[in-house]
Amino acid sequence: MIEQHIEVINKLGLHARAAARLVKEASSFESEIMLCREGQEVNAKSIMGIMMLAASQGTRLQLKVNGVDEKTAVDSIVRLFLSRFGEDE
Amino acid sequence: MLTLYGAGIGKGIAIGRAFVMQRSAVEIPQYSIQASEIGSEVDRFQKALEDTRIQLREIESQIPADAPPESKSFIEVYLLMLKDPLIEQQPAETIREKLCNAEWALRKHSKALVDTFDRMQDPYLREKKNDVRQITSRIQDNLLHIPKQSTTAHPGQLEGRVVISHDLSPADTVQFKNQNIMGFVTDLGGPTSHTAILARSLKIPAVVGLHGATRYIRHDEVVIVDGKRGAIVMGADEGVLDRYRERQAYVIRRKRELDELRDAEPVTRDGQTVKLLANVELPDDMRAAQRSRAQGVGLFRTEYLFMNRTEPPSEQEQFSAYSQVVRRMKSSVTIRTLDLGADKQVDGGRSEDPTNPALGLRAVRLCLHEPGLFKPQLRAVLRASALGPVQVVVPMLSSLNELDQVFDMIAETKEELRQRGEDFDEEIPIGGMVEVPAAAVSADLFARRLDFLSIGTNDLIQYTLAIDRVDDTVNYLYDPLHPSVLRLIKLTIDAGEKAGIPVTMCGEMAGDARYTKLLLGMGLKIFSMDPTSIPEVKRKILEADLRRLPDEAEKIMACGDGNAIRDMVVAMEKL
Repeated sequence: MIEQHIEVINKLGLHARAAARLVKEASSFESEIMLCREGQEVNAKSIMGIMMLAASQGTRLQLKVNGVDEKTAVDSIVRLFLSRFGEDE
Repeated sequence: MLTLYGAGIGKGIAIGRAFVMQRSAVEIPQYSIQASEIGSEVDRFQKALEDTRIQLREIESQIPADAPPESKSFIEVYLLMLKDPLIEQQPAETIREKLCNAEWALRKHSKALVDTFDRMQDPYLREKKNDVRQITSRIQDNLLHIPKQSTTAHPGQLEGRVVISHDLSPADTVQFKNQNIMGFVTDLGGPTSHTAILARSLKIPAVVGLHGATRYIRHDEVVIVDGKRGAIVMGADEGVLDRYRERQAYVIRRKRELDELRDAEPVTRDGQTVKLLANVELPDDMRAAQRSRAQGVGLFRTEYLFMNRTEPPSEQEQFSAYSQVVRRMKSSVTIRTLDLGADKQVDGGRSEDPTNPALGLRAVRLCLHEPGLFKPQLRAVLRASALGPVQVVVPMLSSLNELDQVFDMIAETKEELRQRGEDFDEEIPIGGMVEVPAAAVSADLFARRLDFLSIGTNDLIQYTLAIDRVDDTVNYLYDPLHPSVLRLIKLTIDAGEKAGIPVTMCGEMAGDARYTKLLLGMGLKIFSMDPTSIPEVKRKILEADLRRLPDEAEKIMACGDGNAIRDMVVAMEKL
């Protein structure tokens, strides 16, 4: 199990498009991938879960990954956050 | 005649007979199944999911290829929702555990989800409950083998009609468009829903969130949908209908004219070339800037990079943002250094709530006060200048002393970059914003030392007239045509002319077509504005004759009476 803090830095936050990219990325891994925000924990493979997090720009989240490919999963999800989900900025 | 208001979508007008969609109040059956039936019941549920998926793909293929990408994004979101464990797996588990039918299991979970979204604080997220409703009702329809709502109307039946519906999914919207509906009205929905976005890009006039529409509007009666005002009109007499038909024709004609204008060069009737540039807030706005054929970026605001965060962005983060804009715009990009303070505080607020933020530590003052904030930005801007023509403009200058400090800081930054072996434009033009009356009054002094001037009318007006624009007890006094404001603008334009440097105007006044001819008459040749304003302003330029305008502008400048000035500006518009 790997835990890592990440911050939402893209302007639009985890709304619609970014949420969709995140779910697609997370779904490509075997590991169980959870995101926590102030005690609320959701499955990163669930688009509705991600939307319910209501994470806007500047929100700090905790990423918890557990499974066979946890290392690559953490890497690529962190990279996705850092790339601002490919938003044009 | 009765007029009802909701949220309008698009600028168009639709007139047609109403087609009221009956809400098929589908009864969701509830029954128990045998343990031996679990497998087939789960299969039935999965088959319904698969059918829904196929239908969504089909709808996706009907969206025109040139529609903006966001109009297709709802399909992607729906497809992900279909795969969401909350929808794909949990109902199946309920079937297994509770031995109930698939419809009931789905209903149980969809209701819980809708309720969760409904309790959200954020209105954007609250609207997501509609997505849940729409996707689950599609699955229910497939479970119950109910034909789609839109296909219950016979082909051709919807042609030329205004569809009135309780709610409309984006998918229905696409299908209706193909059946040539004129417009639609819904009880539910908001202006930022997928349906609204799609209606805009499909150019269907609509009014959404008009509660009670399906109750008040009778099937077959003639209704007018006014997308711009967000109104629907029922029981209009011939006179009113004629007026709307005229407006409808006008909107269409106007749109065609503006489209034709897009590729026209902004040249006055007497052959003077004018430059029209775009104000850009986010790199995303570049698309609009290019679409409007802006001849460059006259003002790239950088504040967004600094807002809603506790730490300022790194040099690298800024560089990648600036270089994106520079690469996309082939012509010159003017980057304004940080203009934070007053109404736009960095998260956490640097200053301890000053009583008078507009007059406090902001913009260039803040930057000079905090080199740790300013220098990374200067480095990033300079590095971006290696990729294409870049200019720097410094906001809120009020004294030459500040200018000295800015020049020193830029010289230091250049030296740092040379040490690092980074490329940049050694001759990068440095300009100043003229937005403090002090700078306008001594514009000649600034013009001697800068490469260009840029008039920021919003602040210039606020500072000149001592009016806080956000204070609604005084904002009626905010007046771009105030003689003092006009004189300061004129001083600045003349100072630039005399020093032989360009003068741009980038405040809201530059994008207001009512003032284009006046500003031309005052000698302005470079206008920078929100890209959406460019066609209107260009039209005024094409009509203008610079041989006549300066005299008129002179008369307006000489007049001290506000009402008379307004009348003269209106008269000048027709010149």
